[in-house]
Formats: sequence, C-alpha cells, structure tokens
Amino acid sequence: MRTYILQRFIQMIIVMVVVMLVSFIIVELPPGDFLTTLREQLSEQNVDPKVIDSTVEMYRARYGLGENWFFRFGKWAWSLMKGDMGYSMQHNRPASELMGERLSLTIWISIATLAFMFVVAVPIGMLSAIKQYSAWDHSFTFLALLGVSVPSFITALVFLLLSVTLLGATTVAGLFSPEYVTAEWSWAKFLDMLKHVWIILFIVGLGDTASTIRVMRARMLDTLGEPYIDTARMKGLSGAKIYFRHALRVAINPIISSIGLRFPQIISGSTIVAIVLTLPLIGPLLLDALLGEDVYLACSILVVLTLALVVGNFLADLALAWLDPRIRFES
Amino acid sequence: MNSPPDSDKVLDIRNLRVSFSSIAGATRAVNGVSLNVRSGEIVGLVGESGCGKSVTIRSIVGLVPSPPALFEDGEIWLRTRRGMTETLSLYKNMKALRQIRGRDVSMIFQEPMRSVHPMMTIGQQITEGILEHEVVDPAEAYDRTVEMLDLVGLPNPPAQMNRYAHELSGGMRQRALIALALVCHPQLLLADEPTTALDVTIQAQILELIRDLRERMSMSVLLITHNMGVVANLADRISVMYLGRIMETGTVEEIFKEPAHPYTQGLLASMPSLFSQPKTHLQSLRGVVPELAMAPKGCVFADRCPHVMPICDETPPVVELRADHSAACWLYDDVEASQGPDAVTARPPHGSDSTLGDSSQRVEVIPLTKTEPTADADQKKLADSDTDLLQIENVALHYPILRGLLRRQVGTVRAVDGVDLSIRRGETLGLVGESGCGKTSVGRLVTRLVEPSAGRIHFGADGRLEEITHIPQKEMKGVRRSMGMVFQDPLSSLNARMNIRNIVGEPLMLHGMARGSAVDERVGELLEMVGLRAAHQSRFPHAFSGGQRQRIAIARALATEPSFLVADEPVSALDVSVQAQILNLLLTLQQQLNLSMLFIAHDIAVVRHVSDRIAVMYLGKIVELGNARDICVRPVHPYTEALLASIPLPIPGLATLQEMPKGDLPDPANPPTGCRFHTRCPYSQPICEQEEPPLVPFADAVDHFGACHFQDELHLQGVEEIGEIHGPAAAAGGEE
Ligand SMILES: Nc1ncnc2c1ncn2[C@@H]1O[C@H](COP(=O)(O)OP(=O)(O)OP(=O)(O)O)[C@@H](O)[C@H]1O
Ligand code: SF4
Ligand code: SF4
Ligand SMILES: [Mg+2]
Repeated sequence: MRTYILQRFIQMIIVMVVVMLVSFIIVELPPGDFLTTLREQLSEQNVDPKVIDSTVEMYRARYGLGENWFFRFGKWAWSLMKGDMGYSMQHNRPASELMGERLSLTIWISIATLAFMFVVAVPIGMLSAIKQYSAWDHSFTFLALLGVSVPSFITALVFLLLSVTLLGATTVAGLFSPEYVTAEWSWAKFLDMLKHVWIILFIVGLGDTASTIRVMRARMLDTLGEPYIDTARMKGLSGAKIYFRHALRVAINPIISSIGLRFPQIISGSTIVAIVLTLPLIGPLLLDALLGEDVYLACSILVVLTLALVVGNFLADLALAWLDPRIRFES
Repeated sequence: MNSPPDSDKVLDIRNLRVSFSSIAGATRAVNGVSLNVRSGEIVGLVGESGCGKSVTIRSIVGLVPSPPALFEDGEIWLRTRRGMTETLSLYKNMKALRQIRGRDVSMIFQEPMRSVHPMMTIGQQITEGILEHEVVDPAEAYDRTVEMLDLVGLPNPPAQMNRYAHELSGGMRQRALIALALVCHPQLLLADEPTTALDVTIQAQILELIRDLRERMSMSVLLITHNMGVVANLADRISVMYLGRIMETGTVEEIFKEPAHPYTQGLLASMPSLFSQPKTHLQSLRGVVPELAMAPKGCVFADRCPHVMPICDETPPVVELRADHSAACWLYDDVEASQGPDAVTARPPHGSDSTLGDSSQRVEVIPLTKTEPTADADQKKLADSDTDLLQIENVALHYPILRGLLRRQVGTVRAVDGVDLSIRRGETLGLVGESGCGKTSVGRLVTRLVEPSAGRIHFGADGRLEEITHIPQKEMKGVRRSMGMVFQDPLSSLNARMNIRNIVGEPLMLHGMARGSAVDERVGELLEMVGLRAAHQSRFPHAFSGGQRQRIAIARALATEPSFLVADEPVSALDVSVQAQILNLLLTLQQQLNLSMLFIAHDIAVVRHVSDRIAVMYLGKIVELGNARDICVRPVHPYTEALLASIPLPIPGLATLQEMPKGDLPDPANPPTGCRFHTRCPYSQPICEQEEPPLVPFADAVDHFGACHFQDELHLQGVEEIGEIHGPAAAAGGEE
C-alpha cells in the first residue's frame, strides 16, 4: 500500500514538472525579448518612463531574464509556487488577480458537479441494472441517451430561452443576482449563489451524469452476472445486501477511477456554458488569454488546472486503493 | 398431486419443465426431469454441455433468472428444517426461499476463481453466511469459520480469515467456497461442476474432500459433471441427462457395468481411459449435441442413436429395468420379452465415427478411412524410421518478472528450465503435466514462436537435422512450412472475420504455394480430409460448432503438408463425444500423412491414448520420459504416479492411489530447491531438498528415464492393464 501511494505520488510530481517545463518553453518561445515587448507596450500606453524603467527592472529581477534557462525556469517555477502567476499583458494586471475568484469558483463548481453526478447517476444506474427492462430502466436509458448526445451549450441556450420566454426572467445568466455581483462575500451572497448554481450544475453535469448512468448500469449488470454474486445469493442474503455490500463496491470502481479524467471534461464543458451564461469561471479567461496570445496568463492557468487535475487523479487513486484490495496488495 | 414424498428423500424433483423465452421463441431447456436424492447419498448428474444440468440444479434454489425462464410444470420437494418444502412455489416468497439457501441447501460452482468476492476477505464472506441465518455473536461466528476452514483442509485457518481471493489458488478457493457452503450444516450440497476448472491433482483432492465431508457432516450431495470418471468414484447413483431429459438413472455399478441407454453407452465409449487400447479409434457418438430448438421430436437422441427405429419418432417411455435402474428408450419397452437382456448389452456398431452432423447447420461430416490404425502397424512404422525429426537440447525459456514504475526486474519465471527431448519421424510424443508447468512454452519454443533463453533446437523436415535455434525469421518462415499448430480454444484461434477458405488457405498463400482457384481446390481437399464439406469454404467460424472449429484449425495446420504437428490441448475445450471424434481424426491423419506430433495435454489418459512416448513435465523440467505404456503401467517418478492416481477411472469402486500429492503447484518463479517435487512428494527424504536428481535411465530399461533419487528403490503404483480382464469397463473404454 505504501509503495503504491509513493509511486502515485512520484508520478504526480513528474507530470507536474513536465507540464511546467512545457508551459515555460511556450512562455519563452515567442520571438523577441519579453522585456522589449513590455517596454513598447507600456510606452504605447503613455506610461511615465520612470515607471516603465522600474517595472521592467522588476521583471528582469523576478524572472532572472538574461540568466541561463535552467535558472530562469527555477525562478519561474518558484514564483508560481508562491502564487505569483505572472503579469497579463492584455489586461495589464497580475495574472493572479485576474484568476483569483474565478479559479476557486471553477474548482468548487467542478467538485460540486462531480458530486451531483455521483449522487444522481450512481443510484439511477444501479436501479436501472437491478430492474433491467422495467419502465424505469427504459425511461432512464432513453434520458441518458439524450443527455449524452445533446451538447451542453445547447442545453444552456434552451434553458436561457425557456426562462426568458416562459418565466419572463430578465437575468438568467450569471452566478449571482445583479445586486450581489460586486458585493463582498457574505451569507446572503452565498445563498444567492446557491440559487443560481444548481442550474449550472445541471447544465454542466448533464452530459457526464448521463454517461455515468450508462456506465454504472452496464457495470452493475456485469457484476450481477458474476459467479460470486451467485455465491452471495446462495448464502441467503437479501437483495439489498447483495446489491450494496457485494455488487456496488465492484461496479463503482471504474467510475471512481475515471473521476480524475472527468475533471478536464467538466472544465471544458463549463467553459462553453460559462460563455453562454456569462459566468465568472476560469474557462472564458483561458480562452481569452489564448486568443490574445497572453502567454503568462495562459500558462499560469494551464499549470494551475493541471495541478488540480493531477491532485484529483491522485485522490481517486487513493480511494481506489482503499476500496480494492487487489490494488492495495499490488507490488 | 402436491403430496410430499416419503421422508427418506432429501430432494425430489418431479417432472420439472423449464423453458426460456427469447425473440426466436421459447426453447425448453428442461423437459420433464424427475430426480431424487436420498439421505446421505451422492447422486451424479451427467451429460454434455447445454443439456440443462445447470438449469435443473439452479431451479432447486431459485437461481434461474425469470424472465427469461418460465417454470411450466413440476414440483421440487426439498427437506428443510421445517419439513418437506416445495421450492418452486416459494419463488414468490423470497424471504422463505432465502431462509432455505445456505441453511438447508447450499451450492458450489464451476469457477472457483470467480466465485469468491474479490474485495471481501474470506473470513467476512463466511461469517456473513452464519450471521444471516443464526443469532450468534460475531466472536462465535469467527470461531466457527476458523473451525470450518480447518475442516476443509486449508492450512493455517486464522491467517486465511484475512486473506482475499487473489491471494488463494484455484484449489484453495474451492475449499474456501466449500467451507462457506457448509458452515451452516445444510443437508444437501449442490455442486455444479466443482472441479472442471481445476488441475487433475487438485480435482482429486477436492473430490476426496467432498467424499470425506459427506460422511462427517452426514449430508447428501447432488453433483453435476460431464466427466463419467468423476462420478464413478464418488457417486452412489447416476442420472444421465441429454437435451433436457433424463436418459437413464441407476446405481453407479449398474450404469457402468450394464449401461442400458445408447447415449450412456456412447458417453462411456467416448472416454479415453487408462485402460483403452492406445492409438486405436475410440467409439465416439456421431455428430454433436444439436441446438435445443433443433432437437428431434420423440426421442431427442434419435439423430445420433445407432439403434434408432421407426418408433423413436414418439417419446420413449421410462422403463424400469430393475429396482433402481431405469432408461428412457424404446429398446426396453418390452423388458419381459427375451429381447430385453440382449439389448442391455447391445453396443453401438463398430466404427460409427461417421456422423450426420449438427442438424442445425447441415454440415455433414464425411467418413474417414475405414481402416483403423492399430498398435501393430505402428510398431512397424517406428522400426523403419528411427531417425529424429526434432531434437531440443537443454532448452530454457525464462520470463523476467517486471515490477514498479521503472519496470525493474525482480525475478525470473523459469517456464522451461533445461529440457532435452527428441521426436522421431512418424512418432507422437505426449507432453503432460499440470497447468503452469511449462508445457505450452515447450510447444512455442520448438516452433520458435518465442526465443529460447538457452539451449539448441534442431529440426529436419527432409531427413537432415539442422539447427534452427537462432536462424532469422525469414529462414524460419521456410521451416515453418513443415510445422503445423493446433491450439486449445478453437474459437479464439480462428479469426472470426475471415471465412473458412481464407483461414485454411492463408498458410498456402503466405508460403506462395497456391493462388486463386488452386487455393479453393486445396482448401476443399483439406476440409474433406478433416471430415467437413468442401462446399463450406465461404462460411465463417461462428457457423460451426466447437468440434467443427477444431477440425478447421487442424485443416489449417495441415495446409502446407507439414511433417510435424504441435497440438496444444486440442481437445480440452470440447465435449466428451466430440473430443473422441477429434482424437480419432488426429490418429487417422497421423497415420495417413506419417506425421510426427508433439501432443500436449494435462490429462494423462488422453495423452496415453494418442502417444508413442510420453514426457512428464513438472515446473519446467522433464521428470520422466518413456514409452507410453511403460509410463502408465510402471511409473518411476512419484509425480507421474500422482498424475495417474488423479485420473478418475470410470470403474466404480476401484480405489485409486491412497497417497495424493499434497498442496498446490509451487510458484514457478521460486521453485523448491533440490527435487522440485519434494514439497508435494509422499516419498521425500532429506536429500531431496538439497540435491536435484538428474534425468537418468531407469534400471536397465532402455528408453525409460526418470528424475528421482529413489527411482530404483521405490515401487510405484501404475495402472495395471486390466482392461481385457474386467470386461465391461474395458468394453466401455475401447473395444478390441
Ligand atoms: N438465462 C438463460 N437465458 C436463456 N437461455 C438459457 C439461460 N440459461 C440457460 N439457458 C439455456 O438452457 C440450456 C441448458 O443450459 P444449462 O446451462 O443448464 O446446460 P448445462 O447442461 O449445465 O451445460 P454445461 O455443461 O455447459 O454447463 C442451454 O441451451 C442454454 O442456452
Ligand atoms: S428411443 Fe430409439 S432413438 Fe432413442 S435411444 Fe432408444 S433406440 Fe435410440
Ligand atoms: S527425488 Fe525425492 S522428492 Fe523428488 S520425486 Fe524422488 S523421492 Fe520425491
Ligand atoms: Mg452447467
């Protein structure tokens, strides 16, 4: 068990380093010295020459520009770790300021979406398998098919349309009611967010939930056909004990191991929805940065997202090892 | 009607009918089965695949999924702690049914590897059963589980409590499952092919355990198997089932001494036993078990029966031949008449190898040569071709065990560890041993499908032996033209997306031996040679039955007219009657084409039947080598003795060897020191742990080698050639 965790941990570190290296190379790649570009940009904006000098000097020192690349990479990586995400040329603000709230909101929404997916999909999939070919099974198989095949931005648009035409709503988009958008965080703002957030969870999570229902149903059917389930039946166990104690823990395995993989899906899915519904998430910012060739901002976002992804994967692996003795004893 | 049976019976199935509905319509898998088990009795239910054995036994405890199953008729009376209970009527009352399961009746299944929950400890799984039925505190349940694990012979029971399925071997899992089944002391144990997935030595251990527990726990057993040998030594009574019906029921002595029903007779004759005349045709039943929906009306066996009569269009009556012996066959309709006893000893006419084929596909099998190969002819042939076709010297195959992120090598599996063998022209060398002992690896080495780690391989298709150990693949391609290969699983070894013409013709095209219509012609020839129709070239593998697919695989292997054939477990996946057909085919072809053959199998009876010489392999080493008969009559290595003793003989009451090999096959990555068999050998001495015995000639016998320190002192028990003397059994085995 310990070697397994250690292995996964080392893998995680390796992936992180590789991603940071790649990001760094991208940052360094564009022709022309970054400082000259910065100087030009700042002077175009009629900034006081003194300020320009000091700003440029600050960046030279911070990123060790002019030193060898290894040193520069070290500095860059270190400053990233301290939470300094670099400077966005496009927005003229430090990247961390831009990302700030959007990042934490994105992560929370992703986690909430995952939880939503789990809580909804696992029981539905399980019941569909237990009651195979029942009306319940048929209707959810149909709905799941629908959910898988309809892209989330369409769901979002349909939802927009419906709420405007049917409910006469004026503000459907956004995470907050207008009065809270710029307000400080407070209990009221939190409650207001909850009112909006479930819609987002629903729209973002629909596709994933649908596919998870299908996976869960198929896995549960496979598991219920396994000989060890017959063994359990022959002990005289009740249906509930067989389904929950014996079948569920085996059937749910691939869903847990796929959590890490769902994360990027959720983020890209939420990006599209966030654009349609104008939500303050990280996705639109990343898109923006990529379109505007804002390398520091883009790379910082990429690194942070990768970190979230890799940590998510690691946690999923731990959960699996805890559940499945075969993994625990491997190696 | 619904009256409970007399109290002597633990189980009484009356006229059970179960059908399955599907889009194609309903098929009746169980069609009027009546069967009973008395107190303390072991009853065997025997028959080929798909005959409805599992559906019958699962119906007793409500384990047949419904839908699609429909229980049309019948009663199943079971003795429970509340008295006789009809279980079919309990299906609607799951609670009552659940109280019976595990407490009054238990079941063990065919695949021990998959029947233990992979994520729960053995202890959890067994105590769960106790707690379900009895009000005991967990500590007591724990103690009882440990006691039970001890009873089924698992070493160190308290340690087993915390282990998971993947830490146990197949045999240990089956023991654990038996413990699980019996922990609440049921009166009846249902066993659905409990040993089919296990090695022969482990099978013998498990059968012994079941016999032993029956006495100790005074329970009854209903045992399903397709192997007549298994029931011969274990069962008190036998029911033979075919296509959803019971064909014959009787005491084990009657069934084996005087099998009445033509199907029973056919099953017995199909089995290569340790008493059959080696290298002669087995009397197989013709054809294969048809699809249920295609079963003949009237007597379902009519399309394969050698005695079929016009009246067989009608359902035959169940005739009481004696007390406790009945058969469903028109031959005995009039037992009192003088025709009766005659018919009892009637046997299918000789040479009934030709078949009508599977009626569902109308693939007819063309009769092969009428002349049977005889042992005499063989001796002659051996004499005039004493040259070797293949020699391997000190060949080894080592697989590295890689672990961890960096794939570090942490050990070596010595699958083959220094093997010398030679195969003479026209000879069949049998290679036998338990699974995992390296048999298949030897087959892959001699055909150079894997690179040997050490040693040399010589092969000579045309008389001269040439070294092929490291020749480049291009040259090897030329050599392979003279080698054919047949594998165990006839379905997965044929590409499902290719038609038969391309499957069989592929080697021809690959070696540039034929093109265009010449391929069609040759493929046609080959198909007819293996008893299929030339016209079936355009069909795909799934249109054929298992036995037919194996025929196709053989045709393919013979396409390039090889002089050497490697057959790796070619019959283990097949039903008994089909197995006999394929063995007959191989024997005929070998003689017709003067093939040399390496025949690999785990069943020493099958190997003995087709081989001239036998090599016995254990953990990567040859431990005994010699003439097939000598090895079986007078084995010199204790492992060979154990293999022989493990084969269930189709002779009731014949006690086999008392000393069974202990435990499982050791880990091949970490073989025992000295003699590798010492951990399981009943004759082991201190020296065996230190010194590895070499393979040396046994006493003054030429051509008989053994690798045991004490081979000259030990007098091991072989299987005496008592066939001819013990009439019926021999007749059942092979006629001559
Ligand atoms: N759940 C099911 N649905 C449809 N058909 C079934 C089902 N279970 C069994 N059958 C059919 O019932 C027939 C008898 O099957 P059964 O498993 O009892 O045979 P068997 O004698 O146990 O064979 P084997 O030796 O291969 O285990 C087969 O034709 C099979 O296809
Ligand atoms: S009833 Fe007829 S077909 Fe059936 S086994 Fe007897 S003789 Fe053969
Ligand atoms: S050498 Fe010893 S352990 Fe090995 S088979 Fe002979 S007696 Fe048994
Ligand atoms: Mg079965």
